[in-house]
Amino acid sequence: MMQSAYEQSPWRSNLFVVWNELVKNMKFLMAYPVIFIFWAIFPIFWFIPFILQGEAFVGGLQSANFAQITGSGEYVPFIVIGAVLNSYVNTLLYGMGESIRREAYQGTLDYVFAAPCNKAYVLIGKALSESVSSTIFAASQLAISTLLFGINLTLGMMLPVFFIVILLILGLYGLSLVLAALSLMYKQSHDVSETIGYVFYVFSPVRYPIESLPFWAQIIGKLIPLTYALIIVRSIMLLGMGLSALYWEILALLIIDAFLILAGFYMFNWMENKTKKSGTISHY
Amino acid sequence: MEKSNKEYRLREVKCPAGFNWVNLKAELRAVWESNVKAWKIDLAYPVSFIRQLISPVVFMLPYLLYGLVLIGGRYSENLKQLVGTGDVVAFIFTGYIMMGFIGTAVWAMGFSMRREQWFGTLEAIYVTPASRLGQVLGMALHSTVHQGAGTIIQFIFIYATFGLALNIGGILPALGIFALMMFALYGFGIVISALSLILKEGWIVSDSFYSIMTILSPVAYPLTVLPTLAQQASAIFPTAPALIGMRSFLIDNYVPEVVGNVFLHLIVLGAVWILFGVFVFHLADKYVRKRGMLKKF
Repeated sequence: MMQSAYEQSPWRSNLFVVWNELVKNMKFLMAYPVIFIFWAIFPIFWFIPFILQGEAFVGGLQSANFAQITGSGEYVPFIVIGAVLNSYVNTLLYGMGESIRREAYQGTLDYVFAAPCNKAYVLIGKALSESVSSTIFAASQLAISTLLFGINLTLGMMLPVFFIVILLILGLYGLSLVLAALSLMYKQSHDVSETIGYVFYVFSPVRYPIESLPFWAQIIGKLIPLTYALIIVRSIMLLGMGLSALYWEILALLIIDAFLILAGFYMFNWMENKTKKSGTISHY
Repeated sequence: MEKSNKEYRLREVKCPAGFNWVNLKAELRAVWESNVKAWKIDLAYPVSFIRQLISPVVFMLPYLLYGLVLIGGRYSENLKQLVGTGDVVAFIFTGYIMMGFIGTAVWAMGFSMRREQWFGTLEAIYVTPASRLGQVLGMALHSTVHQGAGTIIQFIFIYATFGLALNIGGILPALGIFALMMFALYGFGIVISALSLILKEGWIVSDSFYSIMTILSPVAYPLTVLPTLAQQASAIFPTAPALIGMRSFLIDNYVPEVVGNVFLHLIVLGAVWILFGVFVFHLADKYVRKRGMLKKF
Protein backbone atom coordinates (compact mmCIF):
# COMPACT_ATOMS: atom_id res chain seq x y z
CA MET A 1 0.00 0.00 0.00
CA MET A 2 1.23 3.50 -0.79
CA GLN A 3 2.35 5.60 2.17
CA SER A 4 0.61 8.96 2.59
CA ALA A 5 2.74 12.07 2.19
CA TYR A 6 2.44 12.74 5.95
CA GLU A 7 4.03 9.42 6.87
CA GLN A 8 6.99 9.96 4.60
CA SER A 9 10.22 11.74 5.52
CA PRO A 10 10.24 15.53 4.85
CA TRP A 11 12.64 14.96 1.99
CA ARG A 12 10.36 12.39 0.35
CA SER A 13 7.27 14.52 1.05
CA ASN A 14 8.82 17.46 -0.74
CA LEU A 15 9.80 15.25 -3.65
CA PHE A 16 6.22 13.96 -3.69
CA VAL A 17 4.96 17.57 -4.05
CA VAL A 18 7.44 18.37 -6.82
CA TRP A 19 6.66 15.15 -8.69
CA ASN A 20 2.88 15.60 -8.52
CA GLU A 21 3.08 19.21 -9.61
CA LEU A 22 5.21 18.08 -12.54
CA VAL A 23 2.76 15.30 -13.46
CA LYS A 24 -0.24 17.65 -13.18
CA ASN A 25 1.31 20.24 -15.51
CA MET A 26 2.39 17.62 -18.02
CA LYS A 27 -1.16 16.26 -18.03
CA PHE A 28 -2.42 19.77 -18.83
CA LEU A 29 0.01 20.01 -21.70
CA MET A 30 -0.85 16.60 -23.12
CA ALA A 31 -4.57 17.37 -22.87
CA TYR A 32 -4.12 19.89 -25.71
CA PRO A 33 -2.17 18.00 -28.39
CA VAL A 34 -2.62 20.77 -30.96
CA ILE A 35 -0.85 23.24 -28.66
CA PHE A 36 1.90 20.68 -28.10
CA ILE A 37 2.43 20.21 -31.84
CA PHE A 38 2.25 23.95 -32.43
CA TRP A 39 5.11 24.73 -30.01
CA ALA A 40 7.18 21.83 -31.29
CA ILE A 41 7.02 22.98 -34.92
CA PHE A 42 5.80 26.52 -35.49
CA PRO A 43 8.63 28.53 -33.89
CA ILE A 44 10.70 27.38 -36.90
CA PHE A 45 8.47 29.52 -39.12
CA TRP A 46 9.47 32.57 -37.06
CA PHE A 47 13.14 32.39 -38.01
CA ILE A 48 12.79 31.24 -41.62
CA PRO A 49 12.35 34.91 -42.76
CA PHE A 50 15.81 35.67 -41.31
CA ILE A 51 17.38 32.86 -43.33
CA LEU A 52 15.66 34.08 -46.50
CA GLN A 53 16.77 37.62 -45.68
CA GLY A 54 20.36 36.41 -45.41
CA GLU A 55 20.12 34.68 -48.76
CA ALA A 56 18.76 37.84 -50.39
CA PHE A 57 21.37 40.14 -48.89
CA VAL A 58 24.55 38.09 -49.29
CA GLY A 59 23.53 35.76 -52.11
CA GLY A 60 24.72 32.60 -50.37
CA LEU A 61 25.01 30.88 -47.01
CA GLN A 62 28.23 32.61 -45.91
CA SER A 63 28.71 36.21 -44.85
CA ALA A 64 32.22 37.65 -44.76
CA ASN A 65 31.24 40.34 -42.27
CA PHE A 66 29.54 37.80 -40.01
CA ALA A 67 32.77 35.75 -40.06
CA GLN A 68 34.80 38.78 -39.01
CA ILE A 69 32.58 39.42 -35.98
CA THR A 70 31.61 35.92 -34.86
CA GLY A 71 34.40 33.78 -36.23
CA SER A 72 32.01 31.83 -38.43
CA GLY A 73 30.43 33.12 -41.62
CA GLU A 74 27.58 30.62 -41.54
CA TYR A 75 24.54 32.63 -40.51
CA VAL A 76 21.98 29.79 -40.72
CA PRO A 77 23.23 27.79 -37.68
CA PHE A 78 23.75 31.12 -35.89
CA ILE A 79 20.06 31.94 -36.37
CA VAL A 80 18.86 28.41 -35.56
CA ILE A 81 20.81 28.24 -32.26
CA GLY A 82 19.54 31.72 -31.33
CA ALA A 83 15.95 30.76 -32.02
CA VAL A 84 16.07 27.41 -30.23
CA LEU A 85 17.61 28.86 -27.04
CA ASN A 86 15.22 31.80 -27.22
CA SER A 87 12.30 29.36 -27.18
CA TYR A 88 13.27 28.63 -23.55
CA VAL A 89 12.74 32.30 -22.79
CA ASN A 90 9.33 32.24 -24.46
CA THR A 91 8.09 29.24 -22.52
CA LEU A 92 9.80 29.72 -19.14
CA LEU A 93 9.35 33.45 -18.83
CA TYR A 94 5.66 33.46 -19.61
CA GLY A 95 4.93 29.93 -18.41
CA MET A 96 5.58 30.32 -14.67
CA GLY A 97 3.58 33.51 -14.21
CA GLU A 98 0.82 32.05 -16.34
CA SER A 99 0.72 28.78 -14.40
CA ILE A 100 0.08 30.73 -11.19
CA ARG A 101 -2.61 32.75 -12.98
CA ARG A 102 -4.13 29.53 -14.31
CA GLU A 103 -4.51 28.22 -10.77
CA ALA A 104 -6.33 31.45 -9.92
CA TYR A 105 -8.61 31.15 -12.98
CA GLN A 106 -9.39 27.54 -12.17
CA GLY A 107 -10.11 28.43 -8.56
CA THR A 108 -7.38 26.11 -7.22
CA LEU A 109 -4.81 28.69 -6.08
CA ASP A 110 -6.33 28.94 -2.60
CA TYR A 111 -6.05 25.16 -2.17
CA VAL A 112 -2.45 25.13 -3.38
CA PHE A 113 -1.54 27.82 -0.87
CA ALA A 114 -3.47 26.15 1.93
CA ALA A 115 -1.70 22.82 1.33
CA PRO A 116 0.59 21.79 4.24
CA CYS A 117 3.80 22.01 2.26
CA ASN A 118 6.49 24.51 1.47
CA LYS A 119 5.30 26.55 -1.54
CA ALA A 120 8.82 26.64 -2.90
CA TYR A 121 8.42 22.95 -3.84
CA VAL A 122 5.18 23.69 -5.68
CA LEU A 123 7.09 26.31 -7.65
CA ILE A 124 9.98 23.94 -8.28
CA GLY A 125 7.46 21.43 -9.66
CA LYS A 126 5.97 24.09 -11.93
CA ALA A 127 9.42 25.20 -13.06
CA LEU A 128 10.47 21.61 -13.73
CA SER A 129 7.42 20.96 -15.87
CA GLU A 130 8.08 24.14 -17.86
CA SER A 131 11.71 23.01 -18.35
CA VAL A 132 10.68 19.55 -19.51
CA SER A 133 8.17 20.94 -22.01
CA SER A 134 10.64 23.62 -23.19
CA THR A 135 13.32 20.98 -23.73
CA ILE A 136 10.94 18.78 -25.72
CA PHE A 137 9.99 21.76 -27.91
CA ALA A 138 13.61 22.90 -28.32
CA ALA A 139 14.78 19.38 -29.19
CA SER A 140 12.05 19.03 -31.77
CA GLN A 141 12.88 22.42 -33.34
CA LEU A 142 16.58 21.56 -33.39
CA ALA A 143 15.92 18.15 -34.96
CA ILE A 144 13.71 19.64 -37.70
CA SER A 145 16.22 22.45 -38.33
CA THR A 146 19.06 19.92 -38.55
CA LEU A 147 17.16 18.03 -41.22
CA LEU A 148 16.07 21.17 -43.10
CA PHE A 149 19.27 23.21 -42.95
CA GLY A 150 21.91 20.52 -42.53
CA ILE A 151 23.36 21.63 -39.21
CA ASN A 152 26.23 19.49 -37.96
CA LEU A 153 25.55 17.94 -34.53
CA THR A 154 27.58 15.43 -32.53
CA LEU A 155 26.96 13.84 -29.14
CA GLY A 156 30.24 15.20 -27.81
CA MET A 157 29.04 18.67 -28.72
CA MET A 158 25.58 18.20 -27.22
CA LEU A 159 26.68 17.21 -23.70
CA PRO A 160 28.33 20.55 -22.81
CA VAL A 161 25.46 22.33 -24.61
CA PHE A 162 23.00 20.48 -22.37
CA PHE A 163 24.95 21.63 -19.32
CA ILE A 164 24.75 25.25 -20.49
CA VAL A 165 21.03 24.90 -21.20
CA ILE A 166 20.56 23.79 -17.57
CA LEU A 167 22.42 26.91 -16.42
CA LEU A 168 20.23 29.05 -18.67
CA ILE A 169 17.10 27.39 -17.29
CA LEU A 170 18.25 28.14 -13.73
CA GLY A 171 18.64 31.83 -14.53
CA LEU A 172 15.24 31.90 -16.20
CA TYR A 173 13.73 30.16 -13.12
CA GLY A 174 14.91 33.11 -11.04
CA LEU A 175 13.35 35.59 -13.44
CA SER A 176 10.12 33.65 -13.72
CA LEU A 177 9.89 33.52 -9.92
CA VAL A 178 10.03 37.30 -9.91
CA LEU A 179 7.25 37.32 -12.52
CA ALA A 180 5.21 34.79 -10.56
CA ALA A 181 5.58 37.04 -7.51
CA LEU A 182 4.39 40.04 -9.51
CA SER A 183 1.53 37.94 -10.85
CA LEU A 184 0.45 37.14 -7.27
CA MET A 185 0.45 40.77 -6.25
CA TYR A 186 -0.55 42.68 -9.37
CA LYS A 187 -2.46 39.87 -11.17
CA GLN A 188 -1.67 41.13 -14.70
CA SER A 189 2.06 40.52 -14.90
CA HIS A 190 1.71 39.92 -18.62
CA ASP A 191 2.98 43.40 -19.51
CA VAL A 192 6.09 42.94 -17.37
CA SER A 193 6.78 39.56 -19.02
CA GLU A 194 6.31 41.08 -22.46
CA THR A 195 8.60 43.99 -21.66
CA ILE A 196 11.32 41.64 -20.34
CA GLY A 197 10.77 39.58 -23.50
CA TYR A 198 11.43 42.73 -25.58
CA VAL A 199 14.66 43.42 -23.65
CA PHE A 200 15.84 39.86 -24.26
CA TYR A 201 14.87 40.04 -27.93
CA VAL A 202 16.73 43.26 -28.68
CA PHE A 203 19.73 43.20 -26.33
CA SER A 204 20.71 39.50 -26.43
CA PRO A 205 22.49 38.09 -29.46
CA VAL A 206 19.47 36.04 -30.58
CA ARG A 207 19.56 37.18 -34.22
CA TYR A 208 22.83 39.12 -34.44
CA PRO A 209 26.15 39.17 -32.55
CA ILE A 210 26.21 41.36 -29.45
CA GLU A 211 29.24 43.23 -30.86
CA SER A 212 26.97 44.81 -33.47
CA LEU A 213 25.08 46.71 -30.76
CA PRO A 214 26.14 50.14 -29.42
CA PHE A 215 28.34 50.02 -26.29
CA TRP A 216 25.53 50.98 -23.86
CA ALA A 217 23.30 48.27 -25.33
CA GLN A 218 26.09 45.70 -24.97
CA ILE A 219 26.24 46.47 -21.23
CA ILE A 220 22.51 45.76 -20.90
CA GLY A 221 22.96 42.62 -22.99
CA LYS A 222 25.69 41.37 -20.68
CA LEU A 223 23.31 41.41 -17.70
CA ILE A 224 21.04 38.85 -19.43
CA PRO A 225 21.68 35.11 -18.87
CA LEU A 226 20.58 34.29 -22.43
CA THR A 227 23.49 36.35 -23.80
CA TYR A 228 26.12 34.14 -22.14
CA ALA A 229 24.24 30.94 -22.96
CA LEU A 230 24.16 31.94 -26.63
CA ILE A 231 27.82 32.95 -26.72
CA ILE A 232 28.91 29.66 -25.09
CA VAL A 233 26.64 27.38 -27.14
CA ARG A 234 27.64 29.04 -30.42
CA SER A 235 31.31 28.84 -29.48
CA ILE A 236 30.92 25.10 -28.83
CA MET A 237 28.74 24.29 -31.83
CA LEU A 238 30.09 26.64 -34.48
CA LEU A 239 33.71 27.21 -33.46
CA GLY A 240 34.38 23.81 -31.85
CA MET A 241 35.60 25.34 -28.58
CA GLY A 242 35.64 23.41 -25.30
CA LEU A 243 34.07 24.46 -21.99
CA SER A 244 37.52 25.12 -20.49
CA ALA A 245 38.11 27.89 -23.01
CA LEU A 246 34.86 29.56 -22.01
CA TYR A 247 35.21 29.64 -18.23
CA TRP A 248 34.73 33.44 -17.97
CA GLU A 249 31.38 33.26 -19.71
CA ILE A 250 30.34 30.23 -17.62
CA LEU A 251 31.34 32.06 -14.43
CA ALA A 252 29.34 35.13 -15.47
CA LEU A 253 26.31 32.94 -16.21
CA LEU A 254 26.62 31.25 -12.79
CA ILE A 255 26.81 34.61 -10.98
CA ILE A 256 23.73 35.95 -12.82
CA ASP A 257 21.86 32.68 -12.10
CA ALA A 258 22.65 32.85 -8.38
CA PHE A 259 21.54 36.47 -8.18
CA LEU A 260 18.28 35.87 -10.07
CA ILE A 261 17.34 32.77 -8.07
CA LEU A 262 17.95 34.46 -4.72
CA ALA A 263 16.05 37.56 -5.84
CA GLY A 264 13.22 35.39 -7.19
CA PHE A 265 12.74 33.37 -3.98
CA TYR A 266 12.98 36.47 -1.82
CA MET A 267 10.40 38.34 -3.89
CA PHE A 268 8.04 35.38 -4.09
CA ASN A 269 8.03 34.85 -0.32
CA TRP A 270 7.55 38.55 0.25
CA MET A 271 4.62 38.83 -2.21
CA GLU A 272 3.06 35.61 -0.91
CA ASN A 273 2.98 36.98 2.64
CA LYS A 274 1.63 40.28 1.38
CA THR A 275 -1.23 38.71 -0.60
CA LYS A 276 -2.07 36.36 2.27
CA LYS A 277 -2.36 39.33 4.61
CA SER A 278 -4.42 41.36 2.15
CA GLY A 279 -6.63 38.34 1.27
CA THR A 280 -6.22 38.84 -2.47
CA ILE A 281 -4.67 35.48 -3.38
CA SER A 282 -7.58 34.23 -5.48
CA HIS A 283 -8.36 37.59 -7.08
CA TYR A 284 -7.77 37.86 -10.82
CA MET B 1 -47.26 48.57 -18.37
CA GLU B 2 -49.95 49.15 -21.00
CA LYS B 3 -48.79 49.47 -24.58
CA SER B 4 -50.91 52.60 -24.94
CA ASN B 5 -49.02 54.22 -22.08
CA LYS B 6 -46.96 57.29 -23.15
CA GLU B 7 -43.88 56.24 -21.14
CA TYR B 8 -43.87 52.84 -22.80
CA ARG B 9 -43.79 54.48 -26.22
CA LEU B 10 -40.87 56.67 -25.20
CA ARG B 11 -38.87 53.56 -24.31
CA GLU B 12 -39.56 51.94 -27.65
CA VAL B 13 -36.45 51.42 -29.78
CA LYS B 14 -37.03 51.52 -33.50
CA CYS B 15 -34.71 49.09 -35.20
CA PRO B 16 -34.04 49.97 -38.82
CA ALA B 17 -34.27 46.98 -41.11
CA GLY B 18 -33.44 46.26 -44.74
CA PHE B 19 -30.73 47.66 -46.99
CA ASN B 20 -31.38 51.39 -46.80
CA TRP B 21 -29.59 54.56 -45.73
CA VAL B 22 -31.10 54.63 -42.21
CA ASN B 23 -30.03 51.07 -41.59
CA LEU B 24 -26.54 51.67 -42.96
CA LYS B 25 -26.18 54.73 -40.73
CA ALA B 26 -27.23 52.70 -37.71
CA GLU B 27 -24.76 49.94 -38.58
CA LEU B 28 -21.96 52.48 -39.03
CA ARG B 29 -22.82 53.91 -35.64
CA ALA B 30 -22.50 50.41 -34.16
CA VAL B 31 -19.08 50.03 -35.82
CA TRP B 32 -18.02 53.41 -34.41
CA GLU B 33 -19.22 52.57 -30.91
CA SER B 34 -17.38 49.26 -31.03
CA ASN B 35 -14.24 51.19 -32.03
CA VAL B 36 -14.75 53.67 -29.17
CA LYS B 37 -15.20 50.79 -26.73
CA ALA B 38 -11.93 49.19 -27.92
CA TRP B 39 -10.10 52.50 -27.41
CA LYS B 40 -11.53 52.88 -23.91
CA ILE B 41 -10.35 49.40 -22.96
CA ASP B 42 -6.96 50.09 -24.53
CA LEU B 43 -6.44 53.38 -22.73
CA ALA B 44 -7.52 51.87 -19.42
CA TYR B 45 -4.16 50.02 -19.43
CA PRO B 46 -1.63 52.78 -20.22
CA VAL B 47 1.47 50.60 -19.74
CA SER B 48 0.15 48.03 -22.16
CA PHE B 49 -0.89 50.79 -24.58
CA ILE B 50 2.61 52.33 -24.65
CA ARG B 51 4.24 48.92 -24.96
CA GLN B 52 2.09 48.13 -27.99
CA LEU B 53 2.90 51.50 -29.54
CA ILE B 54 6.64 50.89 -29.43
CA SER B 55 6.43 47.21 -30.36
CA PRO B 56 6.70 47.88 -34.15
CA VAL B 57 10.13 49.43 -33.50
CA VAL B 58 11.21 46.59 -31.18
CA PHE B 59 10.25 43.87 -33.65
CA MET B 60 11.76 45.63 -36.65
CA LEU B 61 15.17 46.21 -35.01
CA PRO B 62 16.37 42.58 -35.26
CA TYR B 63 15.62 42.55 -39.01
CA LEU B 64 17.57 45.78 -39.46
CA LEU B 65 20.55 44.95 -37.24
CA TYR B 66 20.82 41.45 -38.63
CA GLY B 67 20.71 42.82 -42.19
CA LEU B 68 23.39 45.41 -41.44
CA VAL B 69 25.66 42.84 -39.77
CA LEU B 70 25.29 40.41 -42.66
CA ILE B 71 26.59 42.84 -45.24
CA GLY B 72 28.73 45.04 -43.00
CA GLY B 73 27.03 48.22 -44.11
CA ARG B 74 23.84 49.60 -45.52
CA TYR B 75 24.10 48.56 -49.17
CA SER B 76 23.81 45.04 -50.46
CA GLU B 77 25.13 44.28 -53.93
CA ASN B 78 23.11 41.10 -54.09
CA LEU B 79 19.87 42.88 -53.21
CA LYS B 80 20.64 45.45 -55.90
CA GLN B 81 20.99 42.68 -58.45
CA LEU B 82 17.65 41.24 -57.40
CA VAL B 83 15.49 44.37 -57.14
CA GLY B 84 17.53 47.28 -58.46
CA THR B 85 18.15 48.91 -55.09
CA GLY B 86 20.73 47.96 -52.48
CA ASP B 87 19.53 50.14 -49.58
CA VAL B 88 18.59 47.54 -46.98
CA VAL B 89 17.22 50.09 -44.47
CA ALA B 90 14.67 51.49 -46.95
CA PHE B 91 13.87 47.99 -48.17
CA ILE B 92 13.26 46.56 -44.68
CA PHE B 93 11.38 49.60 -43.41
CA THR B 94 8.95 49.68 -46.35
CA GLY B 95 8.43 45.96 -45.86
CA TYR B 96 8.12 45.90 -42.13
CA ILE B 97 5.41 48.56 -41.89
CA MET B 98 3.10 45.88 -43.32
CA MET B 99 3.74 43.38 -40.54
CA GLY B 100 1.69 45.25 -37.96
CA PHE B 101 -1.23 45.46 -40.33
CA ILE B 102 -1.14 41.70 -40.90
CA GLY B 103 -1.49 41.56 -37.12
CA THR B 104 -4.52 43.85 -37.38
CA ALA B 105 -6.29 41.34 -39.58
CA VAL B 106 -5.14 38.19 -37.87
CA TRP B 107 -5.10 39.16 -34.21
CA ALA B 108 -7.27 42.23 -33.62
CA MET B 109 -10.09 41.33 -35.99
CA GLY B 110 -9.69 37.59 -35.67
CA PHE B 111 -9.91 37.74 -31.91
CA SER B 112 -12.58 40.43 -31.56
CA MET B 113 -15.36 37.88 -31.04
CA ARG B 114 -13.23 35.62 -28.86
CA ARG B 115 -12.34 38.60 -26.63
CA GLU B 116 -16.04 39.31 -26.05
CA GLN B 117 -16.39 35.67 -25.11
CA TRP B 118 -13.65 36.06 -22.49
CA PHE B 119 -15.28 39.21 -21.13
CA GLY B 120 -18.61 37.39 -20.97
CA THR B 121 -20.30 39.96 -23.24
CA LEU B 122 -20.60 37.97 -26.47
CA GLU B 123 -24.17 36.85 -25.83
CA ALA B 124 -25.22 40.42 -25.00
CA ILE B 125 -23.70 41.59 -28.30
CA TYR B 126 -25.43 38.79 -30.15
CA VAL B 127 -28.87 39.88 -28.98
CA THR B 128 -28.40 43.55 -29.94
CA PRO B 129 -30.25 44.46 -33.14
CA ALA B 130 -27.07 45.10 -35.13
CA SER B 131 -24.89 43.10 -37.48
CA ARG B 132 -22.34 40.95 -35.64
CA LEU B 133 -19.83 42.00 -38.23
CA GLY B 134 -20.02 45.52 -36.78
CA GLN B 135 -18.06 44.28 -33.77
CA VAL B 136 -15.31 42.90 -36.00
CA LEU B 137 -15.20 46.04 -38.17
CA GLY B 138 -15.13 48.31 -35.12
CA MET B 139 -12.12 46.40 -33.88
CA ALA B 140 -10.54 46.68 -37.34
CA LEU B 141 -10.99 50.46 -37.27
CA HIS B 142 -9.45 50.72 -33.81
CA SER B 143 -6.55 48.46 -34.66
CA THR B 144 -5.80 50.21 -37.97
CA VAL B 145 -5.53 53.60 -36.24
CA HIS B 146 -3.52 52.09 -33.36
CA GLN B 147 -1.15 50.38 -35.77
CA GLY B 148 -0.94 53.56 -37.85
CA ALA B 149 0.27 55.45 -34.76
CA GLY B 150 2.88 52.72 -34.15
CA THR B 151 4.02 53.00 -37.77
CA ILE B 152 4.49 56.78 -37.42
CA ILE B 153 6.70 56.15 -34.35
CA GLN B 154 8.56 53.52 -36.35
CA PHE B 155 9.11 55.99 -39.20
CA ILE B 156 10.37 58.72 -36.85
CA PHE B 157 12.77 56.27 -35.19
CA ILE B 158 14.19 54.99 -38.47
CA TYR B 159 14.42 58.47 -39.95
CA ALA B 160 16.25 59.81 -36.88
CA THR B 161 18.57 56.80 -36.51
CA PHE B 162 19.41 55.74 -40.05
CA GLY B 163 17.94 58.40 -42.32
CA LEU B 164 15.51 57.31 -45.02
CA ALA B 165 15.69 57.97 -48.73
CA LEU B 166 12.10 57.56 -49.87
CA ASN B 167 10.46 59.04 -52.93
CA ILE B 168 8.05 61.68 -51.52
CA GLY B 169 6.08 61.85 -54.78
CA GLY B 170 5.25 58.16 -54.43
CA ILE B 171 3.55 58.51 -51.05
CA LEU B 172 0.06 59.17 -52.45
CA PRO B 173 -0.12 56.17 -54.81
CA ALA B 174 1.53 54.05 -52.10
CA LEU B 175 -1.26 55.07 -49.71
CA GLY B 176 -3.80 54.10 -52.40
CA ILE B 177 -2.21 50.64 -52.61
CA PHE B 178 -2.17 50.47 -48.83
CA ALA B 179 -5.91 51.23 -48.66
CA LEU B 180 -6.69 48.51 -51.21
CA MET B 181 -4.54 46.06 -49.28
CA MET B 182 -6.35 46.90 -46.04
CA PHE B 183 -9.73 46.10 -47.64
CA ALA B 184 -8.48 42.67 -48.64
CA LEU B 185 -6.90 42.18 -45.19
CA TYR B 186 -10.22 43.09 -43.55
CA GLY B 187 -11.84 40.29 -45.57
CA PHE B 188 -9.13 37.93 -44.40
CA GLY B 189 -9.60 39.12 -40.80
CA ILE B 190 -13.34 38.38 -41.03
CA VAL B 191 -12.50 34.80 -42.05
CA ILE B 192 -10.21 34.42 -39.02
CA SER B 193 -12.83 35.86 -36.67
CA ALA B 194 -15.34 33.33 -38.02
CA LEU B 195 -12.86 30.51 -37.35
CA SER B 196 -12.20 31.79 -33.84
CA LEU B 197 -15.93 31.53 -33.14
CA ILE B 198 -15.89 27.84 -33.95
CA LEU B 199 -12.46 26.67 -32.79
CA LYS B 200 -11.70 26.44 -29.08
CA GLU B 201 -8.01 27.17 -29.54
CA GLY B 202 -8.43 29.88 -32.19
CA TRP B 203 -5.10 31.54 -31.35
CA ILE B 204 -3.30 28.62 -32.96
CA VAL B 205 -5.12 29.31 -36.25
CA SER B 206 -4.28 33.02 -35.98
CA ASP B 207 -0.65 32.40 -35.13
CA SER B 208 -0.28 29.81 -37.89
CA PHE B 209 -1.77 32.14 -40.51
CA TYR B 210 0.38 35.00 -39.22
CA SER B 211 3.55 32.90 -39.51
CA ILE B 212 2.69 31.67 -43.00
CA MET B 213 1.74 35.16 -44.21
CA THR B 214 4.99 36.54 -42.79
CA ILE B 215 7.01 34.07 -44.85
CA LEU B 216 4.94 34.59 -48.01
CA SER B 217 5.18 38.40 -47.76
CA PRO B 218 8.42 39.92 -49.08
CA VAL B 219 9.00 41.93 -45.90
CA ALA B 220 12.77 41.63 -45.53
CA TYR B 221 13.62 39.85 -48.79
CA PRO B 222 12.40 39.97 -52.38
CA LEU B 223 9.81 37.43 -53.45
CA THR B 224 12.31 35.83 -55.83
CA VAL B 225 14.23 34.11 -53.00
CA LEU B 226 11.16 32.02 -52.19
CA PRO B 227 10.59 28.69 -53.95
CA THR B 228 8.32 28.95 -57.04
CA LEU B 229 5.36 27.33 -55.30
CA ALA B 230 5.58 29.76 -52.39
CA GLN B 231 5.84 32.69 -54.84
CA GLN B 232 2.63 31.53 -56.49
CA ALA B 233 0.90 31.01 -53.13
CA SER B 234 1.83 34.56 -52.08
CA ALA B 235 -0.43 35.93 -54.83
CA ILE B 236 -3.57 34.93 -52.91
CA PHE B 237 -2.67 37.19 -49.97
CA PRO B 238 -2.77 40.96 -50.43
CA THR B 239 0.52 41.73 -48.68
CA ALA B 240 2.88 40.50 -51.42
CA PRO B 241 1.42 42.55 -54.32
CA ALA B 242 0.91 45.54 -52.00
CA LEU B 243 4.53 45.48 -50.81
CA ILE B 244 5.87 45.21 -54.34
CA GLY B 245 3.58 48.02 -55.50
CA MET B 246 4.40 50.32 -52.60
CA ARG B 247 8.13 49.80 -52.98
CA SER B 248 7.86 50.62 -56.70
CA PHE B 249 6.51 54.05 -55.78
CA LEU B 250 8.57 54.71 -52.66
CA ILE B 251 12.07 53.46 -53.54
CA ASP B 252 13.99 54.93 -56.48
CA ASN B 253 15.32 52.43 -59.05
CA TYR B 254 13.26 49.62 -57.53
CA VAL B 255 12.52 46.89 -60.08
CA PRO B 256 9.34 44.93 -59.17
CA GLU B 257 9.92 41.19 -58.79
CA VAL B 258 6.53 40.41 -60.29
CA VAL B 259 5.10 42.05 -63.37
CA GLY B 260 1.39 42.88 -63.35
CA ASN B 261 -1.15 45.50 -62.42
CA VAL B 262 -0.93 45.75 -58.64
CA PHE B 263 -4.06 47.92 -58.36
CA LEU B 264 -6.20 45.46 -60.32
CA HIS B 265 -4.74 42.52 -58.40
CA LEU B 266 -5.59 44.16 -55.06
CA ILE B 267 -9.10 45.18 -56.15
CA VAL B 268 -9.86 41.58 -57.14
CA LEU B 269 -8.29 40.21 -53.94
CA GLY B 270 -10.25 42.74 -51.85
CA ALA B 271 -13.58 41.79 -53.44
CA VAL B 272 -12.89 38.05 -53.15
CA TRP B 273 -11.64 38.12 -49.56
CA ILE B 274 -14.48 40.36 -48.34
CA LEU B 275 -17.19 38.27 -50.03
CA PHE B 276 -15.57 35.06 -48.83
CA GLY B 277 -15.13 36.50 -45.33
CA VAL B 278 -18.75 37.61 -45.01
CA PHE B 279 -19.93 34.26 -46.34
CA VAL B 280 -17.77 32.24 -43.91
CA PHE B 281 -18.74 34.53 -41.01
CA HIS B 282 -22.41 34.07 -41.83
CA LEU B 283 -21.99 30.28 -41.85
CA ALA B 284 -19.98 30.28 -38.60
CA ASP B 285 -22.49 32.58 -36.94
CA LYS B 286 -25.38 30.24 -37.84
CA TYR B 287 -23.39 27.19 -36.82
CA VAL B 288 -22.45 28.39 -33.32
CA ARG B 289 -25.95 29.63 -32.57
CA LYS B 290 -27.54 26.40 -33.73
CA ARG B 291 -25.19 24.32 -31.59
CA GLY B 292 -25.35 26.64 -28.58
CA MET B 293 -21.58 27.11 -28.73
CA LEU B 294 -21.50 30.84 -28.02
CA LYS B 295 -20.40 30.44 -24.43
CA LYS B 296 -17.95 27.61 -25.02
CA PHE B 297 -14.26 28.34 -25.02
